[in-house]
Amino acid sequence: MFLLADNVWLDALLRMAIVAVLVPVGVILLTWVERKVIGRLQQRLGPMHVGPYGLLQGIADTIKLITKEDVRPDSADRPTFELAVFVIVVPVFMAAVAVPFTSDIFVRNMALGLFYFLAVSSLGIVGFVMAGWGSDNKYALLGGVRAGAQLISYEIPLILSAVAVAMLGQSLSLYTLVQLQDDTPFIAYQPLAFVIFIIAGLAELYRQPFDIPVAESEVVGGPTVEYSGIRWSMFQMSEFVSLVLISALASLLFLGGWTWPFGADNATWLQVCLMVAKTSAFILFFMWMRVTVPRLRIDQLMALCWQILLPFAFLQIIINGLVLVYDWPSWTLTILSGAAAIAMGTVLHQVARRSGVLYQTTGASQRVGSVL
Amino acid sequence: MLGILKALKTTLQAAARKPVTVQYPKEKKELPHRSRGFPVLLWDFDKDEPFCTGCQVCARACPVDCITVTMKDNPKKAAGKSKRKKIVEHFYLDYARCMRCDICVEVCNFDAIVMNNTWEGVELSTYDRQDLVLDKDALLKQSRTGELKDPFREPMGVAHSGWSPKEEEEEKAEETEASKEGDEG
Repeated sequence: MFLLADNVWLDALLRMAIVAVLVPVGVILLTWVERKVIGRLQQRLGPMHVGPYGLLQGIADTIKLITKEDVRPDSADRPTFELAVFVIVVPVFMAAVAVPFTSDIFVRNMALGLFYFLAVSSLGIVGFVMAGWGSDNKYALLGGVRAGAQLISYEIPLILSAVAVAMLGQSLSLYTLVQLQDDTPFIAYQPLAFVIFIIAGLAELYRQPFDIPVAESEVVGGPTVEYSGIRWSMFQMSEFVSLVLISALASLLFLGGWTWPFGADNATWLQVCLMVAKTSAFILFFMWMRVTVPRLRIDQLMALCWQILLPFAFLQIIINGLVLVYDWPSWTLTILSGAAAIAMGTVLHQVARRSGVLYQTTGASQRVGSVL
Repeated sequence: MLGILKALKTTLQAAARKPVTVQYPKEKKELPHRSRGFPVLLWDFDKDEPFCTGCQVCARACPVDCITVTMKDNPKKAAGKSKRKKIVEHFYLDYARCMRCDICVEVCNFDAIVMNNTWEGVELSTYDRQDLVLDKDALLKQSRTGELKDPFREPMGVAHSGWSPKEEEEEKAEETEASKEGDEG
């Protein structure tokens, strides 16, 4: 690891500064990308007026949000209300510290990087509950409670699927895990864990179809309802940074990060290209899901987590344990995990069919209503 | 589960299609020929004067009283350049009041007024309501400059007699045939 400055503390400060500058710029760009992509997926153009192809839209929005009046309800609990946004944003930035983007571009390479990332990123839940409670607004409170329920529940399958990968790599260091995938990415050995990680990650990002805590049509924005201007933009920023981080983590854990398919020691520019390609593939997939799938009901959401994802996450860990303890060849892992993934898909399909309403059409009858 | 995959395919196909958005102020969709904007007067290029004689039929028929017309003797008739004895002197039309009912067009005996079928006939934002009261020159401007290329003119009695363009063409064909026969005879 090279140092940006002679002094260790100065070096740390510089790296933090890079994160603190790059992340908001990335978020500004990403809001534009998201609106463009969603526009195209809905046969629209997206923003077009500010700058060429609306490129400066994010900057215009930022200026607007910064200069907007910061309104706080008179009856709000002031310290809780005002601190909540920081409790949401700071853990996200702290998590960004642990993510290695290439083999030598990162802030800190931690031996327990995966553990640190998962531990820190789950702190944001407290912020949502604080925002919900502090706003003194029934919708905010409902949203806060929903956020608490959803994010804590989906934390478990997310962590368990990450643990499955850590078992396979025998390490909690993201750097080591990625270096191990130089010829075969872990998705080949852990398809079930990958599927669970993507679903749970989507829920952790509280994006559609899992946007129950912040659903516009149900709780008018949930915990964010009383926030405006720069405080609201912090919610937005944390959402987009988490989107990047979960996508980066998915590409590190399952797609081999900067190594696969070009081996462990390729040039830095190639590593950057690989990481950018893999991460943006996940980001685009999440945006694609967002425009495609309608929102789940809260009971469907909880059932999906506790009754389907959690047992199958344990199943993946048990499979990994068996293969590792009895030293079976690695292709058994692929077969067992793939079979389990197909089983999970079948179970989901059956559950969705049964929970749907029986719908009589001319001739054959079919069930519609649920997409679980 | 399979529903989600199908839905993902659907959205991807939507992305492959061309966006339907029209960048409105920069590019405009073509309006249909029968688009009914606010009424404007027509200019008689042959005689170099308006078709309107100021007969006030439209002003009387107007349900919202948005038209004011006065008539005068046509100076060109005296000079022998035109057949019109009378010609419009003043013509005021209040677009703020007009409800685009098309009655003025239907009652006009001289086909002097039409509903504007260009974008100018519907884009009328002003800062002052008074600017929406147009005088004769403003109402004639589009026709006179040729901006109003192809105004929709309702054929006589379309609402009452079940007339259609096809029949008229057939009639014309019959007439020409009849006249040809007449020539031969």
